[in-house]
Amino acid sequence: MQSKPIALTILDIVSIIVLGIASYLALVFAPTEAVMGDVQRVFYFHIGTAWVGLVGFVLAAVSGIAYLITKDMRWDRFEVAAVEVSTMFFFITIVLGSIWARPAWNTWWTWDPRLTTAAVTELIYIAYFMLRQGIEDPDKRARFGAVYALLGGLSAPITFMVIRLFRTIHPVVIGNQSAEAQGGFSMTPDMRTAFFFALFAFTIIFIDMMWHRIRLGGLQEKVEQLKLNVSI
Amino acid sequence: MTDTTKTTSLEKQPMEYRPSFFKATMAIVQKDLSAEFRSRELLSAMLVFSMLVILIFNFALELDIKVRQSVTAGVLWTTFAFAGTLGLNRSMAVEKDRGCMDGLLLAPVDRSAIFFGKAISNLAFMLIVEAIVLPLYALLYNEVRIFQPSFLGVILLGSIGYIAVGTLLSAMSVQTRTRDVLLPILLFPVAVPVLLASVKASGGLLNNATFAEILVPLNLLIVYDVIFIAVAFMVFDFVVEE
Amino acid sequence: METIPDTSGYMIAGFVVSFLTMGLYVLSIYLRNKNLNQDLETLLSLETEQTKKK
Repeated sequence: MQSKPIALTILDIVSIIVLGIASYLALVFAPTEAVMGDVQRVFYFHIGTAWVGLVGFVLAAVSGIAYLITKDMRWDRFEVAAVEVSTMFFFITIVLGSIWARPAWNTWWTWDPRLTTAAVTELIYIAYFMLRQGIEDPDKRARFGAVYALLGGLSAPITFMVIRLFRTIHPVVIGNQSAEAQGGFSMTPDMRTAFFFALFAFTIIFIDMMWHRIRLGGLQEKVEQLKLNVSI
Repeated sequence: MTDTTKTTSLEKQPMEYRPSFFKATMAIVQKDLSAEFRSRELLSAMLVFSMLVILIFNFALELDIKVRQSVTAGVLWTTFAFAGTLGLNRSMAVEKDRGCMDGLLLAPVDRSAIFFGKAISNLAFMLIVEAIVLPLYALLYNEVRIFQPSFLGVILLGSIGYIAVGTLLSAMSVQTRTRDVLLPILLFPVAVPVLLASVKASGGLLNNATFAEILVPLNLLIVYDVIFIAVAFMVFDFVVEE
Repeated sequence: METIPDTSGYMIAGFVVSFLTMGLYVLSIYLRNKNLNQDLETLLSLETEQTKKK
C-alpha cells in the first residue's frame, strides 16, 4: 500500500486552516449587509463553491478530451475526481443560493438563468455517474465518461445563453450592473477581502479533495485488477 | 457469374476497397428506412405515443384558446422530445440485439458514416412523425399558423440538433446495463438548450414576434446544431469501438 | 434608517448545510478508502495462497 505523501498531509492541514479563516472572514470580519442582513454572509461560500464547481466541470471536459486522445487511465481518474468533487460543491452552491433567495426574493427557487443552468448542470453530472455505473468494462467506462463529460461541458454554456433569453432576477455582483436586478448589493472593501479569500480558500480545498479522490481512484483500479487476477 | 471472376474482381480491388463516404451513409439510411417501411414498428409506436401525449396534455393543461396561445410550442416540443427518445432507443437497440452493429462495424466503411447513416434515418423517422402530428394538431386546435415556412424551419433545426446528440447517446446507452431507462436521463439535460431554443423560437413565431426577436434563439439553435454535429461526428468512433 | 432585517436563521442554515455536505463527502472518501484497503488486503492474501497451492 502506498503511503500518504507529506505534501498531501500539509495540504490537508492548510485546507482546514483556510476554511477556518474563510469562515471567520465571512461570519465575523465582513460587515453585515444593510438590506438583507446576516443571510448575505452565505454569499462568500456561495461564490467560492460555485467557482470551484465551474472550474471542476471545465477540467472534467478537458481531461475527457485528453483521455480520448491519450487513452491514459490517469486522465480518467482525474476526470472522475473533478466531476465528483464539483458535483458536491455545486450542490452546496445551489442550496446556498436557494437559502439566500428565500429572504431576498421571498421564494426558495426561481427559474433564473444561473440557478436553472446550475440545476441542469448538476443533473448532467448525476447522469454521468449513472452512465458509468451501468458499464463494467473499465476502458469502455472511461471512454463513455469522457464523451459525456465533453458533451456536458459544451452544452452548459449554451443552456445558460438560452435560458437568459427567458428572464432574470439574479444579481450581477461583479461588474457595474449591480442595480439591474433586485437582491444585488455593492461590496465594501472588507467584503471584498472576505470574497477573494473565499475564492482562494475553496480553490485550495478543491485541490486537496481532488487529490484524495484521484488517489482513491487509483486504489479502486488496483483492487479491480487484483480481483480479476485472483478469480483467474 | 462464376466463382473465378468473383475472385479476380476481388483481387483487382484488394483490401483497400472502400465505398465512398456518401455511398456508405446512404446505404445505411436505405437499410433502416426499408426495414422500417416493411415492419412499421417504430413509426407506429412513435405516432401512437405522440397522440397519447397530446391527448394527456389536452386534459392536463385544459388547452383552451387562451392557454394554447402560450403553450402550443411547448406542448409540441415535449411531444417530439418524448417520441424522439422512443425512436432513438429502439433504432439503436435493434442494431445491438440482432448483432447488426457488429456487422456494421466490420464493414470497410468509415465509422462516422455509420453515425451519419443512423442519424439521418433517425431524423427521417422524427420528421415523418412531426409531419403527421403537426397537421393533426393544427386540425384539432385550429392552429393554422403552424404552416408558415419559418416555423417548419425551426422544427427542422431543432430536430437536427436533438437527433445528432440523441444518436450518439443512444449508441452509448444501449451498451450499458440500464439501457432502457438511461437514454432520456442522458439526453434530456444535454438537450435542454436545443429544446428551449426551439420552444422560444417557435413560440415567438406563433405569437407573431418580429424576426429580430427570434433571431437570438435561432442563432443559438444553429450554433448548437453545428457544434454538436461536429462533436458527435468526432467522438462516435470512441463510442462504438470494441 | 430602516432596520436591518434579522435573517441570521437562514445564515446558520446555510453554513450548516455547507459544512455538513463537505464533511459527509470527506467521510465518504475516508470510508471508501478504508473499504478498498480492506479489500486489497484480502485479495493480496488470497493471491499469495493461490500461488502457494501452485
